[in-house]
Amino acid sequence: MTALLELDGVGMSFGGLRAVDDLSFGVEEGQIVGLIGPNGAGKTTVFNLITGVYKPKAGIIRWQGIEITGAKPARVAGLGLRRTFQTIRLFSDMSVFENVRAGCHLAARQQWWQGLLSLPAQRREEAELTARTHEILRRLDLDSVADSPATSLSYGVQRRVELARTLAGQPKLIILDEPAAGLNESESAGLNETIYAIRETGVTILLVEHDMNVVMQVSDHIVVINFGRKIAEGDAASVRANPDVIEAYLGRDSDEEDV
Amino acid sequence: MRRAKLGTLIWAAGLALPFALDSSWVSVAAFFAIYAITALSEDIILGRAGIFDMGHAVYFGIGAYVTAILNTTLNIPILLTIPVAMLVAAGVGALLSAPLIRLRGDYLLVATIGFNAIFVLAMQNNPGGITGGSDGITGIGVPTLFGLQLESQSSMFWLDWVALGAVLLLMHNLDGCEFGRALRYLKQDELAASTLGVDARKVKTLAFALGAGLAGLAGTLFAVQLSTVSPSSFLFTESVTLFAIVIVGGQGSIPGVLFGTALMFVVPQIFRGLAEYRYFVFGIAMIAVMVLRPQGLLPRKRIAT
Repeated sequence: MTALLELDGVGMSFGGLRAVDDLSFGVEEGQIVGLIGPNGAGKTTVFNLITGVYKPKAGIIRWQGIEITGAKPARVAGLGLRRTFQTIRLFSDMSVFENVRAGCHLAARQQWWQGLLSLPAQRREEAELTARTHEILRRLDLDSVADSPATSLSYGVQRRVELARTLAGQPKLIILDEPAAGLNESESAGLNETIYAIRETGVTILLVEHDMNVVMQVSDHIVVINFGRKIAEGDAASVRANPDVIEAYLGRDSDEEDV
Repeated sequence: MRRAKLGTLIWAAGLALPFALDSSWVSVAAFFAIYAITALSEDIILGRAGIFDMGHAVYFGIGAYVTAILNTTLNIPILLTIPVAMLVAAGVGALLSAPLIRLRGDYLLVATIGFNAIFVLAMQNNPGGITGGSDGITGIGVPTLFGLQLESQSSMFWLDWVALGAVLLLMHNLDGCEFGRALRYLKQDELAASTLGVDARKVKTLAFALGAGLAGLAGTLFAVQLSTVSPSSFLFTESVTLFAIVIVGGQGSIPGVLFGTALMFVVPQIFRGLAEYRYFVFGIAMIAVMVLRPQGLLPRKRIAT
């Protein structure tokens, strides 16, 4: 069976710094895959390579067996691959509703001139997408804040809005970049529930965390990287017992800045 | 929705202006309509897409010149020149946008100023003997509708006012359609927008084409109103004024842009003796607004559904 997403010998460097080096791993459909590593291990860079924000210097990225190495972010989004950001990137001038509605962008088939003339087909589509947006807001328990300015809300709620925005695109795979960062314990527990609930709907999840506990709890499969290289791969128990992983986490370099 | 209804009523009431004003004031109202269309078209690029276009007078000028040339040399009726003027302006807008949208905000702004300077110089140099050099083109005819000559200032005003009404309708629809929203996503956060599937290049090119095309329409109306065009109407300072109207009035806000236009083009007429001080007053207003109300005088309302 071909993996939904597959990285094959992917490499990236900035100046002289090797951020990602000969990295290979796959994400099977329906899995929750955790990508972990100490700060500065290159996790976010990996995400930026997959989603087309950066173009890899080496290796191949495949989506359902088809090469997408270096594809632009908008095209990657069109394949059904959506992401959140480590530092939340909501549209700050817009309401929660508008932010989540933005996730439906590619579902809109209307042409610009149909919109400018407000033709019936366009208005029908607007009503459909409004309904879809409200449904997702309800699913993620955001309907009570739908009209609030997105950035006026607490960090935990903003994370949920960003998650809702990715789901509005009806993705096959979502990539979550440190979703638990900045959350308190109860928010973090709620997040785990949400992640499970999303998987139940058939969405595959690739998750980055440097907090091992979150990842260990929810992931079916874990990939551990350090200094841009894969140092271990497997289920939670085997990864936890791996001496290289223990050293990477307890070693001296754990306080480095994230790349 | 209520704002839209109120706006429609005000527009309809405006149709009666020629019965209430003398002809010089009707001409002021006509110029208001023309500049309002131009400012709204600049708002598509600057206010909504967030692209620092400080060369918008180019597209306005192209519309005016296309109409002037087609009408005076080929005798094509004014109203038939409108689609040509709009298409040529839109085409140039799309063409110029190709190098522009690769640039970052500040560099882009300087580049648009460059295009404006080139345009004015080109018109002054009378390429192919068709633009009339520094003196421009005179003797542009009056529009004819169903055999009726729209000769009087009032009938020209009605033409401008109807055109403004159509543009206002488009701008209103822009707020509620996917293309209009995509512009705002790009303005706020291009990276986030692109990961949602917004094709930045396509959307920005379209914004330029649409903004330029509507400016071209205003250009035709301008040429008709003055019955003459010359390079001095499309200087870089005109672009600066349009830029300032959008910023001071309120980016992405229809009432804001209309208010800004009135402030710049109507208020100076009321204090005609002080018209010399137009830029002085507007300059102070710009500074005050940027310090006290950076979102503009009548900022965009958050749309909640």
